[in-house]
Amino acid sequence: MDDLGHHGELSANMVGFGRLLRKHGVKVGPGEEHDALRALNLIDLSLAESFRHSIRTTLAKSKTEQEIFDQYFDSYWNVWDRAMEMNRPGTEEESRDTPGREKSGKHSTPGLQHWLSGNSDTSGEQEAAGYSPLLVKTRRDFQAFEKDELQEVVRIIRALGKRLASRLSRRRVPSSKPRTIDLRRTLRLGMRHGGEWMELAHKKRRTQKLNLVLLCDVSRSMDLYNQFLLLFLLAFQRAFHRMETFVFSTSLHRVTETLQSNNIEEVLTRLSEEIPVWSGGTRIGASLDSFVETYGPAVLDRNTVVMIMSDGWDTGEVDRLESALKEIRKRSRSIIWLNPLMGSPDYQPETRGMKAALPYLDILAPVHNIESLRRLGRELINLQR
Amino acid sequence: MLKTDISRFHNLLEQQHYIADESIATALFLAEALRKPLLVEGPAGVGKTEIAKVLASALDTDLIRLQCYEGLDVHSAMYEWDYQRQLLHLKLDEGSGKTTEERSASIFGEEFLFKRPLLQAITHDRAPVLLIDELDRADEEFESFLLELLSEWQITIPEIGTIKAGHQPYTVITSNRTRDLSDAVRRRCLYLWIDYPDFDKELAIVKGKVKGIEEGLASEICRFMELVREQKLEKTPGVAETLDWARALAALHHHHLDAAIIEQTLGLVFKNWTDTQQVKESLADFLERLGVRSKFS
Repeated sequence: MDDLGHHGELSANMVGFGRLLRKHGVKVGPGEEHDALRALNLIDLSLAESFRHSIRTTLAKSKTEQEIFDQYFDSYWNVWDRAMEMNRPGTEEESRDTPGREKSGKHSTPGLQHWLSGNSDTSGEQEAAGYSPLLVKTRRDFQAFEKDELQEVVRIIRALGKRLASRLSRRRVPSSKPRTIDLRRTLRLGMRHGGEWMELAHKKRRTQKLNLVLLCDVSRSMDLYNQFLLLFLLAFQRAFHRMETFVFSTSLHRVTETLQSNNIEEVLTRLSEEIPVWSGGTRIGASLDSFVETYGPAVLDRNTVVMIMSDGWDTGEVDRLESALKEIRKRSRSIIWLNPLMGSPDYQPETRGMKAALPYLDILAPVHNIESLRRLGRELINLQR
Repeated sequence: MLKTDISRFHNLLEQQHYIADESIATALFLAEALRKPLLVEGPAGVGKTEIAKVLASALDTDLIRLQCYEGLDVHSAMYEWDYQRQLLHLKLDEGSGKTTEERSASIFGEEFLFKRPLLQAITHDRAPVLLIDELDRADEEFESFLLELLSEWQITIPEIGTIKAGHQPYTVITSNRTRDLSDAVRRRCLYLWIDYPDFDKELAIVKGKVKGIEEGLASEICRFMELVREQKLEKTPGVAETLDWARALAALHHHHLDAAIIEQTLGLVFKNWTDTQQVKESLADFLERLGVRSKFS
């Protein structure tokens, strides 16, 4: 095999492979492809696995990306191998659409993930273009949207989340808690007193980011709102140091690990698989109680904001709800209760659950449209001061 | 030319009981060859830090470790002035008639500087391996500073000036995935994912590190750990826990696992109350699958 020819074809096929991976959500750029080619130059390719390992370590930069890589590696490069033998450059695997990600899942929601994977452009985010005509949309309740409009809503929410999160990083204000001594300033200050140090100057310290604990009511009525809230928070989570997420209905489950991925589709798919469909109403009190007992010591502290997402329809004991909230309030910075029902103008917190909870909440807010998400984002930013 | 070829990595990894781990050897080899940092991700306790040690050993150089934690700020990672000595020096200088400027200048010499890991790595006499351990515990701000360092390889100390690296360190970054690292960091590095070892690997590790342990006991321990990791736990135990447990059982001269022994020693493996309860409840099931001899037979 002519070396130059071989290399020329190898480069071309690396580019093709990169394109294939990008189509399926792996962020491969020219830098990565270049690294992969450099690596192949150095590795002894006679070792079977060396080829795969060297390009995998240079192209796939997370566990998820590795899995996608593994999925397409064999078929792509085997085709190429066979084609090489036939003396033609291999063709990349043409649009084999994302293999059946539509697991029926136990939670048969119409599914945001359905829309996301249907027309996904997983390659990069597109900022919401032409925002003004959509102003009307920001006030519309999520449930009022047509299916084909939801794609747009998703895009807006994600852009919003990211924008707000970056605004936060620019706004962080130095805390007044003293830290290290700033010697230079101390000396300068000392000059006022003829060289004696009467006061010590301290270096200012940047504020610490807050942590977020999210407790989501996943009984049937909450579906769509939950998904949009999650979407927003996933885009917004850079604003927090740590985000712990739990879902509850009749009992509580921690789903934080499931949310740890930049790939929204994957997150929603995995969530819908993990969360069993409960019937029989919500026991908010018991769930919050269990949260406090099991996870309280680990996740509640002065730097943590607790966010509860529920419409307040509680079929359990109200005193448990009260005592749990009291405990949470004591141990955390603040409690935010999000209630999609608040979107309706004549809403009054009439349910037993909401009434009991009211005195312990710092913020009670709606979460039924884009506008409410934006306000939530701003509220969370303000809390960081 | 390269100091090592890939076989040297194979050998060293084997000594650390990473059997036939082509992916790790390749990643280390490329980290050296391409001079790119290596990002090692995986659950806690699977031996990510050990990889850095292997690299240092293979390259015959020193390992400089920066342990990240919540609230780690850029300064503590780089350097700190020895305030006490500085103040003392100034006090002693008082009668000397120097101007304030001269006095200020005299206290910013190297003898008053505590070099923290990053500065140490840059000023080392030969290229060291710089291990940035558990980067996920630090914040994004630190990550962006780190990125800059990884490209520029220089540190600016306002009072002294800019210090450029004499020898570019080999960098290994580890993460336990308690939070997602930024894309920028990921794309800058080569990537390695280390998972819990499978039965054979773990057995090799246990036999290698717990001298004199019986084959039967070691097998049962590893089989048990395999079953445990299939469960959904709050804090899945890693290899470190397996080894602690194995050492304890060997020291207590147990030859086989049974319900009583396991219950007594659960605390060595599970560091979380919920997990301990969950395992206790499933113990009978585990034992059955383990085919463990009852102590009455």
